[in-house]
Amino acid sequence: MVKQSIAAITLAFALLLASCGGSSAPAPAPATGGEAPATGGEAPAAGGEAVTINFLTLQDDDLLIATNATIEAWKRSDPQYANVTVNIQAVPFAQIFPAIETAVASGADLDLFLADGPDMKHYAFNNAAIPLDKYFTAEEINGFLPINVQAGSYNGVFYSPGIMESCSLMFYNKDMTDEAGVQPPQGYQGWTMEEALPNWQKTVKSDAGGNVSQWGLRWGQGTYWGDYELGIVRRSAGPKGSPTYMGMAADGVTFKGYMDTPEALRAYEFQRSWYQGDIPISPQEPINQIFFNKQAAFYISPDNAIGTINRMFPDGDFNYGVTGIPYFADGAQICHTDSWHFGVSPASKNQDTAAALVKFMTGPEGAKIWYDLVRQLPARVELLNTLPEYSQPPQQYFAQAVQAIGEPRIQTPGYTEYQQVFAEFMQNVAQSDAPIDALVADAVTKIESAVAKYKGWNE
Amino acid sequence: MAQQLGTAQSATSFLGRMLNWRRQQLIVAFLFVLPAMINFATFRYIPIVQAFIASMYDYSLLGGFGDFVGGQNYMRMFTDPVFWRSMQATVLFVLYKVPLQIVLALGLAMLLARQSIGTAIVRSAILTPMVTSIIIVSIIWAMMYHSQQGLLQSLLVTLGFQKIAFLSDTGRALPAVAAMMIWKDIGFSFIIFVAGLKGIPEMYYEAGIVDGANRWQLFRHITLPLLRPIMMFVIVTQTIFSFQVFVPVYQMTQGGPLDSTKVIVYYIYQMGFRFQDMGYASAMSIVTLVLLLMVSWLQMRFLRMDD
Repeated sequence: MVKQSIAAITLAFALLLASCGGSSAPAPAPATGGEAPATGGEAPAAGGEAVTINFLTLQDDDLLIATNATIEAWKRSDPQYANVTVNIQAVPFAQIFPAIETAVASGADLDLFLADGPDMKHYAFNNAAIPLDKYFTAEEINGFLPINVQAGSYNGVFYSPGIMESCSLMFYNKDMTDEAGVQPPQGYQGWTMEEALPNWQKTVKSDAGGNVSQWGLRWGQGTYWGDYELGIVRRSAGPKGSPTYMGMAADGVTFKGYMDTPEALRAYEFQRSWYQGDIPISPQEPINQIFFNKQAAFYISPDNAIGTINRMFPDGDFNYGVTGIPYFADGAQICHTDSWHFGVSPASKNQDTAAALVKFMTGPEGAKIWYDLVRQLPARVELLNTLPEYSQPPQQYFAQAVQAIGEPRIQTPGYTEYQQVFAEFMQNVAQSDAPIDALVADAVTKIESAVAKYKGWNE
Repeated sequence: MAQQLGTAQSATSFLGRMLNWRRQQLIVAFLFVLPAMINFATFRYIPIVQAFIASMYDYSLLGGFGDFVGGQNYMRMFTDPVFWRSMQATVLFVLYKVPLQIVLALGLAMLLARQSIGTAIVRSAILTPMVTSIIIVSIIWAMMYHSQQGLLQSLLVTLGFQKIAFLSDTGRALPAVAAMMIWKDIGFSFIIFVAGLKGIPEMYYEAGIVDGANRWQLFRHITLPLLRPIMMFVIVTQTIFSFQVFVPVYQMTQGGPLDSTKVIVYYIYQMGFRFQDMGYASAMSIVTLVLLLMVSWLQMRFLRMDD
């Protein structure tokens, strides 16, 4: 009886161990609907080797649809890729950076990842991505907008092409602005902040108890406190080329004298008034889809908002317009550029295949498929210049603005550290009454301490 | 003589069989424990040792091990104001959550320990949050707390009060997270207390009633002393769990505003994964572990049965 028990437990334990002995990576979803991932014993079909590419990307419906469509087109484009299976693992925005970092550090079976443009320098600095210059000719690299190449390069070496570009302008709900008697200017030049504030306030609707039913402004998409959106405000407080406008010293590790200038402090005070002023124009806590749900009159966003409006309101019952992004009168108008870039992992055993996929997705055919589904500024010059919608408003404004006022976010391997502290700082500006100068001094100290390890990265 | 020898041999054989049987029993027991031991070694003890080693280095996930810095990461905590704020937030969270949760769970357990009509439904209602995903619960509660559109705001306005900012107010954010976690975790304490109450023999209460004890005296002199081991288990486990709170902070407040909800595990995560400072994050993990061991030891010492 006892011997039988021992045998049974040993067998059960052996089975348990065997079941744990597979791949340590989480089971990813297949890239295309219904297609089974490649298995180890699968025989290669004619003309192509059975290869599996593990692709870590962003959990976003629009991007996933575009990713799958582009991958399918790539597999059809050349018989040698017909048997490639792309396993997609999608994670939310907040988790993509730690997910990439953990996967690369642990040597997980990761071939390809999608990363926010400014983070690419961090991955290049830490050898978490391979240079792609051997896969792209100089002519092919020149096919991308210069700001895109700048974001995807590290110390002059090309690491990562972007799938699209961005530049935020100000959308407005025309029904709401008409009702409030507000006439936003035409074109991408737009209002100054000083002009915009009373107009934002005019569109706010609230009852006697202060309960707001319609807000004036949602500044930025996605993360509520992020640098992509809110970093623009302080940079626009300084004239072009000034420390405030630059946002950071050229060494990529000095923020004192750039993030805490008198102009920047004025901008932060101005931002605080959005949430805590006599007439608050933005809620202190983010309201999801506030513009698309017709709860805010103005919305700062890249042009992918047009795609969202088209998807959510196919009958066209969302009356909107686009105007320029506001800036301070004695500063300069600016929009942050960059978007999602591809990185190939150094741990990948299929680097050539992964690079081929990147090249297709960011190439003429892939970029067009992507654009048709996502509707955001393309990173490719010829596509931007040939798409008819970018020759007429409102998308024309985006095409003009990205080249006229577009500036990459600060370029440093410490962007993630900066971004984390900056987001906390902005949250504190909006939600607390702590003195702004003390908050910014604390933030600058934290950032400089966190990025000190990158000193000399670009020398 | 031969009979005596036979008896002795028989006894020796019986003893041998008994020893053999005991050894086999031990092997069986060991095999039962082995998976748990492997699990603990792989996912607990080895990482603790590795974290301790990492804490002595300038270490980041992508950059790997840099210079050996000895105790520098530990010394850094003394001069890091955010570390102390995180510790303060963590201790406050534990103080908000654990006592209130235990009082509520014990009260509910006493009310619902005996089977009556509707008990099963109420018990299920109390236990359901416990088995619900913490990330889902955090998202839902963040929506309920929302300063403009939350369900709780609607209730307040309906009752004639002004809206209250829960998660964006430095004074209310941490208690709000603690309240949510009490709701989430109360089922665990409740079920343990119910089991403990069922283990108290009825005759003690009968004797107390015969002696003229009132309900409070029965609770004070019978229920509480006999629940002491259970109470110790609940307090120690809940303190440990509360010290490790992370997901609701990550999901609901991101540590803000003004670090008011930046509990230690969130700060460790931020340092390790956001600031690429895994060495310092490891040092803070080790200090947190030591603190938890000390707190648990103190709690066990004060609540020991033989006192």
